Amino acid sequence: MGVNEKFNPIRKGLLEFLVLKIIAADKVYAADILRQLRETEFATQEGTLYPLLSKMRREKLLDYEWKESEAGPPRKYYELTAKGREQLRETTEYWQKISGTVKDLGRAPAA
Amino acid sequence: MNKVVTIHLRGAAFQLEEAGYDALRAYLDGAARRLEGNPDKDEIIADIEQAIADKCRAVLGAYKNVVVAAEITQIIDEMGPVQDAAAEGEERPAGAAPGAAAAGPATGAEAGPPPRVRRLYKIREGAMVAGVCNGLGVYFGIDPTLVRILFVLLTFFWGLAILLYIVLMIILPTPETPAEKAAAYGIPATAQEFIRRAREGYYEGMRTWGNRRAHREWRRRFKHEMKGWGYRLKREMQETADRAQQQWHQHWQPPACTPPAWTPPPGPPFLLLITLPFVALARGLLAVFAFFAVISLLATHTVFGVAPPAGMPLWAALVLLLIVITIISWPLKVLRHAWAWHAGRGAYYVPPVFWFVDTVVAIGCAVLAIWCINRYVPHAHEALQAAPAVFHQMIDAVKQWWAGR
Repeated sequence: MGVNEKFNPIRKGLLEFLVLKIIAADKVYAADILRQLRETEFATQEGTLYPLLSKMRREKLLDYEWKESEAGPPRKYYELTAKGREQLRETTEYWQKISGTVKDLGRAPAA
Repeated sequence: MNKVVTIHLRGAAFQLEEAGYDALRAYLDGAARRLEGNPDKDEIIADIEQAIADKCRAVLGAYKNVVVAAEITQIIDEMGPVQDAAAEGEERPAGAAPGAAAAGPATGAEAGPPPRVRRLYKIREGAMVAGVCNGLGVYFGIDPTLVRILFVLLTFFWGLAILLYIVLMIILPTPETPAEKAAAYGIPATAQEFIRRAREGYYEGMRTWGNRRAHREWRRRFKHEMKGWGYRLKREMQETADRAQQQWHQHWQPPACTPPAWTPPPGPPFLLLITLPFVALARGLLAVFAFFAVISLLATHTVFGVAPPAGMPLWAALVLLLIVITIISWPLKVLRHAWAWHAGRGAYYVPPVFWFVDTVVAIGCAVLAIWCINRYVPHAHEALQAAPAVFHQMIDAVKQWWAGR
């Protein structure tokens, strides 16, 4: 089992956090989110993203509105709700704590 | 030249090659099944259809108005398997690189459009052990739970079912690429199409009811079409069965079937009726012994203090133990089978109730064993929990051996 596979559950768990971050930056539609993730370690497919978005909407973390697009049918543009922003803040804090722990643990103890 | 099917996705019409249509149908059916129980199921499916429509639009041009099968395979591949985010315990990685997944079917696409086949696969999603029952259920379009119950029942009446399970577990492939997945879900798709056409034809028939000639014409055509579909379904089933048989012959020689050589002297039936429950009891006790032996092996890596040969992996020791148990129980089994065979030939009559008693005694012993273990061996529970890991280890080892030959 390579490192890549070992981190699967972690990547999976972090996906929601990243989606929150992406949506917080700007109003986006699903293909935007996929494009932003594509170049990263978190490359995701529609089959995973759509159920996740609908779950997050059900948890009232985000909401969407229909907008006409220049080409093709109207699209769903997602934005964060107040609860979603709150969750993003909490998650960011927690993430900083975790990455701090990962960095510091196992170093020579301060004498 | 290939047949084209026209579909509509979120209000836009597309023309797909027939093989591509089947793959897409299977993908969407699979998605719907995976999202069963999700309150937003319809909405997610709508989003997915929208995304597929966008991707189809991207491959079409002014002079290209049909989406070919290979393109559909590619699109399904890009979409990735639909996973219910709300459902916990899914094994599939969320961030699986799409590039890695795309490598598989690309080779298949070069060999022409994916053939319209249905194959038997292990399906790990929602599997209890290795997904064999799950795969069988999907293959035959039955609820996997029903298949599992059948397997358990079969094990009670015919212990070899476990062996059958293990053999299937080893020879059945796991669908890796979307094309293979579509093949795994192939038969329900074909069957559903059959039902859909039948229903459509039926409504048309209702409409022509008043007009006698039109109705007769409809009936002739309807019958003809249904027959065609029936043949097709049958032919596919036959082909799959042939393939399975071929695979079987490649892997194993069929066991030689010998009739029981020893026949019991035709004794007075009452002797048999009296001894039969004792034999059942002996078998039951043996089962209890076997159960404890397995638990002992899993918990302490020794069988009642006797260690397996040094350097032997746990799974091999487990297999060895099972073989030894089978050999010990062999005479009892032969005795029973010979009797049953003799009774079946009409030599004497055994009231069915005795077979019932026989089974009840066996089940009772098994239940007793489990109860005892729960009561007196605290860490047996942990060992039982570790069993699936040992199982998987065993499968991996056999697979490696098979691949390394």
